Amino acid sequence: MNTYKIIEIKESIFSNNDRQADKLREELKNKKTFLLNLMSSPGSGKTTTVLRTIEALKDEMKIGVMEADIDSDVDASLVAKTGAKVIQLHTGGMCHLDADMTKQGLDALEADGLDLVILENVGNLVCPAEFDTGSSKNAMILSVPEGDDKPLKYPLMFSVVDVLLINKIDAMCIFDFDIEKVKERVKKLNPNIKVIPISAKTGEGFDEWIDWLRNEVKAWKE
Amino acid sequence: MHELGVIIEVVKYVEDFAKKNKLTKIDTLVLQIGELSAMIPRYIEACYPAAVDGTMLQDTQLKIEILPANAICRECGSVFNVIQNNKVCPNCKSEVWELLCGREFMIKEIVAY
Ligand SMILES: Nc1nc2c(ncn2[C@@H]2O[C@H](COP(=O)(O)OP(=O)(O)OP(=O)(O)O)[C@@H](O)[C@H]2O)c(=O)[nH]1
Ligand SMILES: [Mg+2]
Ligand SMILES: [Zn+2]
Repeated sequence: MNTYKIIEIKESIFSNNDRQADKLREELKNKKTFLLNLMSSPGSGKTTTVLRTIEALKDEMKIGVMEADIDSDVDASLVAKTGAKVIQLHTGGMCHLDADMTKQGLDALEADGLDLVILENVGNLVCPAEFDTGSSKNAMILSVPEGDDKPLKYPLMFSVVDVLLINKIDAMCIFDFDIEKVKERVKKLNPNIKVIPISAKTGEGFDEWIDWLRNEVKAWKE
Repeated sequence: MHELGVIIEVVKYVEDFAKKNKLTKIDTLVLQIGELSAMIPRYIEACYPAAVDGTMLQDTQLKIEILPANAICRECGSVFNVIQNNKVCPNCKSEVWELLCGREFMIKEIVAY
């Protein structure tokens, strides 16, 4: 008769992903391709922001986009019109991307030789925060209609991002949204975060955002 | 719900582990989940049967241990539970602290032969 034994494993589910993410980041560093992981709730303005960002930078660098919408290619076809390289990732209903899916996406995009790849992650403030995609930097969009209490409700997301774009500031007068309060809440979670108010509709604030991105891409190549 | 995708990864990992270690039957799988993890134990339990269906873990029992969300206060050094104390140090009322544990999602051990 066999007897049962207890076998210790002690394997973090995230550590496997973290290892793959670190490896991917290193590969991207060697290839001088900057990967921006862009996260937000649905409808906060990711695609609109991506379109305007491509317009601003397309003459200085080669840009690719990976769209991770759960089940459509609406965003991908919009981006394709800008002339940037774009692919639709099929996440099969998953609510986040992990490093392995990101790597497959980069292969499918044929990202070698691109200076900047923007990953439009799945619209969700919980799961993408837990999974390192292997990106060079993480960005998040919080839009004015969502409210200024989001850092209190989704602290992890706000603590893992390098830059926070506060979008739809053209609509500020309709909503009671306190930018200073957001800054204060966010800095408590993440003292090094950069906060940039923008409007993807009017282009307000884009100079600062584009400067930030351009500098990060440059620094990545050094 | 992301629990299903993640639990499928867990099942793959354990099957792999079992093959490598020449285990023939796994009686129990023990996971550890932090209180602040985005994995909800109730959902994990709900999708577990679907994830193990047709795998080596089909008859394996699932056990979940919850790890507390403990933090150390940066002002006074007290260790306290973040959730029970509403994110404020109970000793000095500081809101500046560092999380020690509570975000884990671990395969702790298996009971097998
Ligand atoms: N007023 C205003 N509307 C905006 C702004 N940016 C985006 N929108 C609008 O918000 C809606 C959603 O924008 P998208 O760019 O599709 O948002 P998204 O985050 O890509 O959405 P999903 O991919 O569906 O999650 C659209 O109707 C946009 O026109 C902005 O700065 N101001
Ligand atoms: Mg979109
Ligand atoms: Zn204290």
